Amino acid sequence: MSGDSNPAATPTPCQDTQGDGRWMSLHNRFVSDSKGKEPDVLFIGDSLIQLLHEFEVWRKLFSPLHALNFGIGGDATQHVLWRLINGELDHISPKVVVLWVGTNNHGHTPEQILGGIMAIVNVIHQKLPHAHTLVLGLLPRGKSPNPLRERNTSVNAQVQAEVASLSHVSFLDMDPGFIQSDGSIAHQDMYDYLHLTPQAYQRVCQPLHECIKSLLDKQAP
Amino acid sequence: MSAEENPAAEPAPVSDVQGDGRWMSQHNRFVQECKDAEPDVLFVGDSMVQLMQQHEVWRELFSPLHALNFGIGGDTTCNVLWRLQNGELENIRPKVVVLWVGTNNHEHTADQVAGGILAIAQLLLSLLPKSKIIVLGLLPRGEFPNPLREKNASVNNLLRASLPRLGHVQLLDVGGSFVHSDGTISSRDMFDFLHLTAGAYRTMSMTLHELLLQLLDETPQERRASLV
Repeated sequence: MSGDSNPAATPTPCQDTQGDGRWMSLHNRFVSDSKGKEPDVLFIGDSLIQLLHEFEVWRKLFSPLHALNFGIGGDATQHVLWRLINGELDHISPKVVVLWVGTNNHGHTPEQILGGIMAIVNVIHQKLPHAHTLVLGLLPRGKSPNPLRERNTSVNAQVQAEVASLSHVSFLDMDPGFIQSDGSIAHQDMYDYLHLTPQAYQRVCQPLHECIKSLLDKQAP
Repeated sequence: MSAEENPAAEPAPVSDVQGDGRWMSQHNRFVQECKDAEPDVLFVGDSMVQLMQQHEVWRELFSPLHALNFGIGGDTTCNVLWRLQNGELENIRPKVVVLWVGTNNHEHTADQVAGGILAIAQLLLSLLPKSKIIVLGLLPRGEFPNPLREKNASVNNLLRASLPRLGHVQLLDVGGSFVHSDGTISSRDMFDFLHLTAGAYRTMSMTLHELLLQLLDETPQERRASLV
């Protein structure tokens, strides 16, 4: 699906509707961070990435890997695409890029979201030909079964299939089993049935950490 | 300003635009918690309240005070008003209510936002006549000076004057240290220039905690057989 016909794959900055320019402030800070720092791992995406930085788990598992966090809450694929094309990948050469985005693509079909994610994967590969991109699976959301869970599951299946043949991209399923036997998600895992509690972050980050470490080990020094 | 004139004082639930019913799920959980819990302190508001519970400082300073957290990210004064009128105050008699809401009222003027907060304070006082209310001032936001900082400061000024007239209500403004001399807010305090980092929560919580202890001390203890 080309960028013209897929809104999820059309680079789009976030409009400052509220009046305090916070999205652009964050983007600008990430661009200037990319001039000063030399991360081995770059995390990019929405609030699930952004909030990860605010808990102990970041300091324990990811700071030691020399990681940068370019997450912005509310971002959909088209916003992340815009940010990467507009400076956030310039001046850095991380070995691994961790991408977690798609759950905020409201109104888009799973196919459109797949298109958005692949557009991002392609931009990363163009700008950082030696980096490995790790695409994280979208988590289930909402207290009870609902259409967004189905949408996210469909996106995951399509992404997983799409990247299977690519040597520079992997897919990682991030769901350790959040959906309980009665179909509900516990607020001890997602306090608002979308965002992770610190204990849930611990659970999902262990395998993520292992995966990143093994990717770093495989990369030429 | 009456409720008919002030849209910020009109109770309204959040409609499920996204499709997973999360707002109503959270509200229902809070209503259920009211049936089981006996909080001495009730926190209610938006994401500023909600996120506090995800940090260590909640467990250290507020859980021991038997506090409940009824924060929902994105909430405006209208949403909090609706929640409090629709079950989130049933069966509980907290000694202190901490209210922190208003920064998400993007469609409303400072006057209207202050009016909305006053309406919530009035509701709390009428339903919980023995409780004391702490209204937290709206924090500055955005990396650089911008209209929302001025708006939030205006709301605080309006509240400072009008809240005490209602009864046992006071404004606690913890926003003083966030804006640096060059007018900027640091991402070390607000990671997205709106939400607080763990460190910033810790700093403002010390002040709030002190005030809570003071207010709880002033409140006559109810006898509870289980404490013996």
